[in-house]
Amino acid sequence: MTEVLARRDRALTPEETEKLLRDRLGDGITGSTVEFATFTLHVAPGSWHAAAALCRDEQLLAYDMFDNLLGVDAREDGFDVVAVLYSTSTGNRICLRTRCDGGRDNPVCDSITDIYRGADWMERETWDMFGIEFVGHPGLEPRILTVENFEGWPLRKDFHLTSRVAKPWPGVAEPAELDEDGQVIERVPKIGDAPGPYDLDKAMAAQAKAINAPEVDELEEGADEPESSGSADDGSDGDGSAEAEPEFDQETFDRLIAEGKSERIARSKAKAALIKKKRAAAAAGDAAAGADAGDDDPAAAAAAKADERRKAQAEARAKKAAERAADDDEDAANDAGDSAAQEGDA
Amino acid sequence: MGLMDQVELPQPVKYVFNWGRKYSLWCFNFGLACCAIEFIAASTSRHDFIRHGVIPFAHGPRQADLLVVSGTLTDKMAPSVKRLYEEMPEPKYVISFGSCANCGGPYWDSYSVTKGVDQIIPVDVYVPGCPPRPEALLDGIIALQDRIQGESLKDRIAGRRLDPITLGADAPLAIEGATGGASGGPT
Repeated sequence: MTEVLARRDRALTPEETEKLLRDRLGDGITGSTVEFATFTLHVAPGSWHAAAALCRDEQLLAYDMFDNLLGVDAREDGFDVVAVLYSTSTGNRICLRTRCDGGRDNPVCDSITDIYRGADWMERETWDMFGIEFVGHPGLEPRILTVENFEGWPLRKDFHLTSRVAKPWPGVAEPAELDEDGQVIERVPKIGDAPGPYDLDKAMAAQAKAINAPEVDELEEGADEPESSGSADDGSDGDGSAEAEPEFDQETFDRLIAEGKSERIARSKAKAALIKKKRAAAAAGDAAAGADAGDDDPAAAAAAKADERRKAQAEARAKKAAERAADDDEDAANDAGDSAAQEGDA
Repeated sequence: MGLMDQVELPQPVKYVFNWGRKYSLWCFNFGLACCAIEFIAASTSRHDFIRHGVIPFAHGPRQADLLVVSGTLTDKMAPSVKRLYEEMPEPKYVISFGSCANCGGPYWDSYSVTKGVDQIIPVDVYVPGCPPRPEALLDGIIALQDRIQGESLKDRIAGRRLDPITLGADAPLAIEGATGGASGGPT
């Protein structure tokens, strides 16, 4: 290679690279994409070799390092070959991609081993796995990855795994829930129907916040909320009373001190005991108040949603059971439906 | 081996002889995948199978008594394993370490993985797990040593082997040729 003009600070953008290669190869370039920060240049199979040569020898491009070469099964369209090149002088990376001639039956591609020596074994591996023949390769056989007498092209989508023919895949294809009869519960998920990971995260965060909130004031306010929904004076009054109250459970504190614990530990434990007590009281209050508090609390809302979902599921299950039983006995079906519905309620 | 394969040794001689053999197992490690890391962990100071008399990293198969196949055996690699096994002098023992070596493990349906090292060489102890912990290898070694202690060297040299031991299996499997079935892979 002669002098390299390419430099890191003057690296060509994908657009400029494409323009340059289009100037030289004309129709040989069929398109380009930039996806996942990777510039892919689609090359006609006839220009594959020329494109690789240009990429290496063009002084502004100077893709001097051969990175990777692989095959892609494009289903009925045949096979693609992808080569990844890297330039040590500009730091650019380029994907060259071509659709092999010959379709599925006899895919053929030009070899680029005379440009990049490193492509030799990569092309042999691609031959092994996909059966793509590289014209001009010094020797694709014997097979490099599989045993030498291996038959078939294992990475083609239509390759059959003989073990799977003898014994089907032991797991379920998709993780599925089974009802009590061992039937797969079929569900068509809708957005917002079930708490996804993100909703679940939010609900859990809200729960964690509720549980970890050590502020006695907040609990106090929460208890007050239903009757006085917050004039500023009331709030400050409430705070005042909370400040007057001890921050921890005096009883527990005294007991722990008597047991010989340090004051700091006793204080924190007593604080926890107090919070626990308050929470128990608040929970009792909530249960009495019913759904009022639940509206504002995302955790409670999520729980309610989950409840609904469970109920719906139980109903669906009951329906299924009823259908199944309908042939035998209608009364029995009704019973089953009732019991399942009760289960859902519980 | 001269007389050894024709004459049964007297019991006291046999005892001493086997006692000496079982605490001097030169081990040839065939590390093929992640199980090899567990094997190495078993050889280092924390688990230290050297205190059980297993000497790791024999200089070659011709100096080894014990072959530990730890990892995924591919069809491409299988001839090498068979050849190296055949280079080992009798009496020789094989521990199949990990699901892949037992039965193909998670690669049971692969186009390139041998479905267990017992397809090509006889195995004495199967250690299930994916990968097994080093303690499991110690278990396997101790099981093998127990067997060596009670063994008739005459039979061994004449190539008569006992049924393999499968760690964790309550009873030997009745199905012929399915001795590796109790390992961790999907069955």
